[in-house]
Amino acid sequence: MATNILICDDSSFARKQMARAIPPEWDVEVHFAADGIEGLEAIRAGKGEVVFLDLTMPNLDGYGVLETIRRDDLPAMVIVVSGDIQPDAQERVKALGAMAFIKKPIDADKARAILSEYGIMAGG
Amino acid sequence: MNTQTQPVVDLNEDQRDCYQELTNVAMGQAADRLARLLDAYVVLPIPKVNLIEANDLRMAIQEVEDESAMSAVCQGFIGSGIAGEALLLFNDTSFHDLSTLMNYPGELDRFAEMELLMDVSSLLIGACIQGIGEQLEIHFNQGHPVILGQHCKVEDLLKPGNHQWTKTLAIEIHYTLEHVNIDCDLLLLFTEDSVIKLNDKINYLLD
Amino acid sequence: MSDANIELGDIHWLMDILQNIDVGLVVLDRQYDIQLWNGFMESHSGLSPQVARGENLFSLFPEIPQDWFTKKAEPVFELKTRTFTIWEQRPYLFRFKNYRPITGRASVMYQNTSIIPLQSIDRQVNHICLIVYDVTDIAVSRADAETALQSLTERNRTDLLTGLLNRPYWLQEATREYARCQRSVHPSTLVLFEIDDFRQINVLHGHPAGDHLLKTLADGLLQTLRRTDQVCRYDGETFAALLVDTDEEEAGVFAQRIHELSSVVNQSGLPAGVSCTLSLGIARFQQDFSDSAAWIQAAETALMQARQEGGNRICIHQP
Repeated sequence: MATNILICDDSSFARKQMARAIPPEWDVEVHFAADGIEGLEAIRAGKGEVVFLDLTMPNLDGYGVLETIRRDDLPAMVIVVSGDIQPDAQERVKALGAMAFIKKPIDADKARAILSEYGIMAGG
Repeated sequence: MNTQTQPVVDLNEDQRDCYQELTNVAMGQAADRLARLLDAYVVLPIPKVNLIEANDLRMAIQEVEDESAMSAVCQGFIGSGIAGEALLLFNDTSFHDLSTLMNYPGELDRFAEMELLMDVSSLLIGACIQGIGEQLEIHFNQGHPVILGQHCKVEDLLKPGNHQWTKTLAIEIHYTLEHVNIDCDLLLLFTEDSVIKLNDKINYLLD
Repeated sequence: MSDANIELGDIHWLMDILQNIDVGLVVLDRQYDIQLWNGFMESHSGLSPQVARGENLFSLFPEIPQDWFTKKAEPVFELKTRTFTIWEQRPYLFRFKNYRPITGRASVMYQNTSIIPLQSIDRQVNHICLIVYDVTDIAVSRADAETALQSLTERNRTDLLTGLLNRPYWLQEATREYARCQRSVHPSTLVLFEIDDFRQINVLHGHPAGDHLLKTLADGLLQTLRRTDQVCRYDGETFAALLVDTDEEEAGVFAQRIHELSSVVNQSGLPAGVSCTLSLGIARFQQDFSDSAAWIQAAETALMQARQEGGNRICIHQP
């Protein structure tokens, strides 16, 4: 069965770029959300088994989404995709439960390596 | 307004979104360098991308309080026929914490502040410009920075009138640092004819 | 960068350009040892590339402050960013003498510099390039403009005959001081004074004699003023002094000194028959003055009283 993945980013350009970076052999159904609130709704609706999450977003940012997922124990594997590449940012999101961190601009090969390294693609 | 002889500078929502995302990535790289230099965490905002009219240059700096004293550095950049200027506006109250983080010895006088201003602007402007350039495959050359003023009000730094353009692309980033009193505004302004070329590049990315 | 397009023969003329270009180019390695030294640097330093190459930048040029320079250069190595220095920060990096006896008016070459990262094939930055620009012309013309502006500013605030401040500038200062006094616990005092029967002197001895008297008095005044005292030619033969952080008593001492000036002036070669006495009015700042004009008016009232009592005396405004 196809894995439900959710791309949560306020930029439509960034959502498209992320969608393009998803390995074509991975059997997925892709959903989109434009901010943290939409993202949480989609996760609650079961559309986000794997979530590619941006950090800087209006309304509710990526940190807020991670906190809510943890607090409400929502079933989502989160990979943060962000331009905020400060070492501190990476540590913080990992501490909040993110599995992995993909740096923007997204490099498709690196994204594939990270997905298989963490067994996310196989585990889908 | 007479726009018949001018190229029409326009920006649709997809293009605006794309500029915002490119900036987002570039300012993240700049923040990373600043964070390493200062050993602090830089809070990243959502950059503002707008077309502004020459008269509204002052309005572009929305985050800046009218009454606070500012210092500013300007630096030109050009590459592949795309040119612009970066303006870094520093709230003067930032200097104290900045000099502590940068381990600057001695008294914080006008010269020491100029040093700090130059160091931080080199870093932030350079990283941002190069970051945007890399994503668009443009190599930007940077001119020498110019100190626009120290301890001025914004209206004295950005004098109205006499601009060679009517409407152009402006990108504004408001940087703040966590736990310390440092904030600054980075404004990127492109020349009018550059925006046409930039939009072409952006359209290519959007396809 | 399209390095592949450069053929071996081209290297020759590329080197020529490097040698002849009118900016300084220096390549430094991680230890700040000089790896490349172009013609500009050779010409101005007198050191040939053979001598400079392999030498440490800071031992060869002790005038470059090592701490300062490495602060600018380390981020170039570490963060692959470019950094810049401008002459306003530090006039020069290398102390090169000005080489133009006719058009050059500075003793040293002012310099802007760019420090750019040079990436190796493995994308590491093990070398940086220092580019040195001669900006002496810009620095000198900026200094000229500033001097011109300063003398214009001075001229704009000076009374041409006496060399004291002029009235418009002094009024601005008085207004500023009024605002300061409202917040301060150290109030200031105004003194207005005039030469008695000055019109008579002008009528009997002519305007040149009157002007000479004003000038002589002003010269005497300039010598007795403290640095913070602001004195202007207020109107014709009337002068006004703004004494910052000065109470009535201290202002009285000041007024007495000025009053005594008249005898000095009288002994300083005035035309025969011309003698000078002074009347003075003193007004200390009061919180109930509605504006600076009211304060000045108070000093004028005191001066008028001194005049009405026969002149040659000091009167103090009574609130």
